[in-house]
Amino acid sequence: MNGIEIRGLKKSYPSEDGRLSVLDGLDLDLEEGAVTVVLGKSGCGKTTLLRLIGGLEEADGGNIRFCGCTESERDAFSAGRHLEKGSPPAFKTAYVFQEPRLMPWLNVRDNIAFGLKRKERRKDDISAVIRAVGLSGFEKAYPSQLSGGMQQRVALGRALAYKPSFIMMDEPFAALDYFTRESMQRELLRIRAETGASILFVTHSLDEALILADKIVLLSGGRAAAEYPVSLPHPRNPLEDSLAGLRHSILNALGEAVSSRISGAAPKADALNISSKRPVYGLLYARERIYTRERI
Amino acid sequence: MNVNETRLQKLKKLKKLKKLKKHLPALTITLGILALWNLVCTFGHVNAYVLPPPQKVWKTFLKMASSGELLSGIGISLLRVFRGFSIAFALAFGLACVRLFWPKSEACYGFLVRFFRNVPPLSMIPLLILWCGIGETTKTVIIVLASFFPMYLSIVKGFTGCDRQLLEVARSFAYSRFRTFFRVVLPSAVPDILVGMRTSLGYSWRSIIGAEMVAASTGLGHLILFAQQMSRTDKVIIGIFAIGLIGCLCDLALGLLIRRLAGDVSKNGWD
Repeated sequence: MNGIEIRGLKKSYPSEDGRLSVLDGLDLDLEEGAVTVVLGKSGCGKTTLLRLIGGLEEADGGNIRFCGCTESERDAFSAGRHLEKGSPPAFKTAYVFQEPRLMPWLNVRDNIAFGLKRKERRKDDISAVIRAVGLSGFEKAYPSQLSGGMQQRVALGRALAYKPSFIMMDEPFAALDYFTRESMQRELLRIRAETGASILFVTHSLDEALILADKIVLLSGGRAAAEYPVSLPHPRNPLEDSLAGLRHSILNALGEAVSSRISGAAPKADALNISSKRPVYGLLYARERIYTRERI
Repeated sequence: MNVNETRLQKLKKLKKLKKLKKHLPALTITLGILALWNLVCTFGHVNAYVLPPPQKVWKTFLKMASSGELLSGIGISLLRVFRGFSIAFALAFGLACVRLFWPKSEACYGFLVRFFRNVPPLSMIPLLILWCGIGETTKTVIIVLASFFPMYLSIVKGFTGCDRQLLEVARSFAYSRFRTFFRVVLPSAVPDILVGMRTSLGYSWRSIIGAEMVAASTGLGHLILFAQQMSRTDKVIIGIFAIGLIGCLCDLALGLLIRRLAGDVSKNGWD
């Protein structure tokens, strides 16, 4: 396939009781040009998955293949080491973190051009990105002079200016207000349509997942507990009838986990099994219910 | 003159008054000290050899300034400080880079750095005179020893204290180690480097005067020592004033450079 293929991915961290397994043999296919949204409660391994794909951490086991090449080959592609001088890298990835992580000593323009090498910087291209993320007129502003939403837009612009084939986004809109979040979601979809980049998006919000996703993946027990393809065209209203069935099936999948939590019983073993498609998803369910009520 | 011009002039006057108000406490204390000094010399029955009156010091200052004696002393001392400080900066920066790129190498030189950091450079003068003579080398080595350590520690702190989250951003864009150093680590370390330079500059001035008093025939330190031997307390006082003022000016210049390069820390949050 021409996307990213993840097989048997394992990652654990040292803890007081030995090692805490976060990812336990995760299998996942990320199709080229698609928006894959990963949902899961805190600590289920969403960020770890992104960090492993982004090469920020080493996996304990398993394999990640990018467009038919291995992770180390991908790194060589990204750094342009295998290519002749002057040729563009064949496969580029960009990471949008939960926090903007902007360089405080660089202004908006320079922060957006941060991923580019000096010879790759074209004034018009950078200006186009600044316009796309709605920051025209703020080119010379420093991060401390921008609001949280504007900083996050700079971070998104920085990823887009790099012209990546694959963008990883770790709850990038979590800290934004409702209106900024909506406009950023629209912007993201527009940019995806223009560039055709694949996107792996992590979020806590089911509504956000329904608006953006071509495929929703529920992460639980260190594995992809369920996958839901979403084939409706954009723009979408998360409360529209055509998405109600999907919303119900996701919430039902979560419901059992909630009731098992309330009753105090440990989740059944088959609730974590991929084949049963019944993930543990208490926190999200509670959040989404409140969110839906507010919106209605 | 129209109303606007009058207002503008009033505003300018207010600004000047505000500036004066800012410096008023320092000015008052300085004038107070001068007045007290004058009073003590006039009515305190203090021997003019122990404490010459301000008028005499001023006259001597004018003479020394016109003859070029003072300026040549200042020039020579400044040159020595500049030479020693530059060498110390290059060494501190180089060693801090070694510490950053090869952290394990610290095991080789860490003890030596700690040892010499606690040895006052002036205590090395007898050995340095034996090894290097009483030429410029001894004085340069003393300045290097005095200014290297604060600068080295500040640069290492700046390099190693770089925000890990920013380093991850560089890594996510496939930055090489070299590129990460120049585009992330070095800019984020600039405030620490400049603060280290500022501290070290003060140390350089202190050490050069000490060194010139022991082993030199030129410079401000020698000027003070020679004046003492000639029982010219007024020249000693002028030498001390010159050192203090030059030190303040150097500190001010470096402070301006810090503000220019690092920006206003409280404003841009780059702290």
